[in-house]
Amino acid sequence: MSLPNEDDMSSSSDTQITSHIFGDLLDSIIVDVASECHRIAKLGLDRNFEEDEEELRLSAQARVRVADPSNSGEANSKYVVDIFGQTHPSVANEVFECMNCGRAIMAGRFAPHLEKCMGKGRKARAKVTRSSTAAQTRQSRGNPASTYSTYSNSNSTSRLSNGTSGVAGEEYSNGALEEP
Amino acid sequence: MRKSVNRPPTPDVMENQGKEPTLQELINIELIDSGEKERLMELLRERLIECGWKDEMKALCRAFIKKKGRNNVTVDDLVHVITPKGRASIPDSIKAELLQRIRAFLVSTAL
Repeated sequence: MSLPNEDDMSSSSDTQITSHIFGDLLDSIIVDVASECHRIAKLGLDRNFEEDEEELRLSAQARVRVADPSNSGEANSKYVVDIFGQTHPSVANEVFECMNCGRAIMAGRFAPHLEKCMGKGRKARAKVTRSSTAAQTRQSRGNPASTYSTYSNSNSTSRLSNGTSGVAGEEYSNGALEEP
Repeated sequence: MRKSVNRPPTPDVMENQGKEPTLQELINIELIDSGEKERLMELLRERLIECGWKDEMKALCRAFIKKKGRNNVTVDDLVHVITPKGRASIPDSIKAELLQRIRAFLVSTAL
């Protein structure tokens, strides 16, 4: 047959047209997606863009920090920066007067000083019994219970020197008393 | 500055005056006028997002951009990157659905 079958032609051209239309739609959508990605890239809106490289860089940094012996952390470093950016020396360096012996003591060394000063330790106690007790007795209006003041903490001692000895006496019954 | 989009030059009005609109063009005009083209586009877009096709294409773009550098990429580049893979990876069911709808439209306009 020399004449082309009209039905065939129209259906095949229909199919052609249909495919062509579909292709058009697809192209438009592809351009949309490409344009969107392009915009995100140019504006730097993709938060995960450099994720892998960032991770690698951070882990490399961390590894360097760990391997470096000079950065050994807070225990050894003298000047640590806290969250406000302030540095504190490892030993508190404010100086004030000890209320017991009247010496100028550094705040960071106050507790050990008091141990010796008030006689908590073994060595100090023997020494203190003779010299400090006399001073305590004078301060506390001769309350015999004050002998035990050397074994109590500084709080009750200061109360002794200022306040009623009766209160101090009660307190001693609760405190750790040791017979000389 | 390099243009991000390569736009074909607008066809000269004089050129087209002698030609008869092709069947294809007529159908295209009908598609647009009736709003069917818009509906078909929305349908296709929705289907492609659902099946993850769009995410795949975006991943391709991101990989390409990472390789080439953010500031050296044009929209054209991305289109060329996506088009072959994009056309090939359309799920058959989606393609069939769209073709079906287009054919139905052609029939309804009795062309």
